[in-house]
Amino acid sequence: MATLNITYNGLSSDLPLELDGHVSDGDVRRIALEVVRSGGAPGLHIAHLREDAFVHYVVDRFRGPRGDERIYLRPKVPFGA
Amino acid sequence: MRILFCGVGAIGSTAAVLCRNLEATLVFIDFDRVESKNLLAQAFVKPSVGKNKAEALKLQLLNLHGVKAEAFGVRVTRDNVAALCANADLLVDCFDNQASRLLLSDFARTAGKPLVHGALAADGTFGLVRWDERFVPDAEDTAGQATCEGGAHLPLIGQLGATLARVVQDFVKHGTRRDAMVSLVAVTPTAS
Repeated sequence: MATLNITYNGLSSDLPLELDGHVSDGDVRRIALEVVRSGGAPGLHIAHLREDAFVHYVVDRFRGPRGDERIYLRPKVPFGA
Repeated sequence: MRILFCGVGAIGSTAAVLCRNLEATLVFIDFDRVESKNLLAQAFVKPSVGKNKAEALKLQLLNLHGVKAEAFGVRVTRDNVAALCANADLLVDCFDNQASRLLLSDFARTAGKPLVHGALAADGTFGLVRWDERFVPDAEDTAGQATCEGGAHLPLIGQLGATLARVVQDFVKHGTRRDAMVSLVAVTPTAS
């Protein structure tokens, strides 16, 4: 079991995710788009979320304190410019 | 202990003010000058308008009890980074451009100096605090992409500045190097 965290427009939502194997960054973006549109992400239901909403988002992967997989889909932090 | 805040705009000035309780010399580096619009989201006051940001912040903090502060009103370049940062015990990267962040990162890795980065997403809804050993700058969508402008994102700037200050304090007191993701709904520690 992994946890996918989606941050969008200042809101953030955690949702459990059953993964059989490695999920690519593109898959993470597609999953997030579907879940947010369908209302499956608690507190983050946007039915008409744009198709390209997560195109420029970054996928970060961490291990939680118990070794669990945590995947974060977040806006870019371009460190300036 | 000498803590260098590299860039004292919105993030740097906010974090520095929240580090004023530390038993350390706070050193500010910034070539820029305070503009009236900066008073919205940066820790400066009206009499500072027109002054160099590093010098202005130093003068403000020296008005407080027991704070030790120094200032260098210069731009950090490849030629002076070693001279400016050689005596630092901790570098805090609050620059507003990727080139300066990479320059500082190169120096810190070569010199073996601890360096922590603080940065905001362009839309002001998300921030990162990340130690240099895990620092990889996100690619820009467009060259010269702007970060948040003016004071529109002050609550998130405050949250990020406070998180960065807490990370600095944990390093000074316990030697821990904790990362964090910062949003308006949560501050999430991610590594140490």
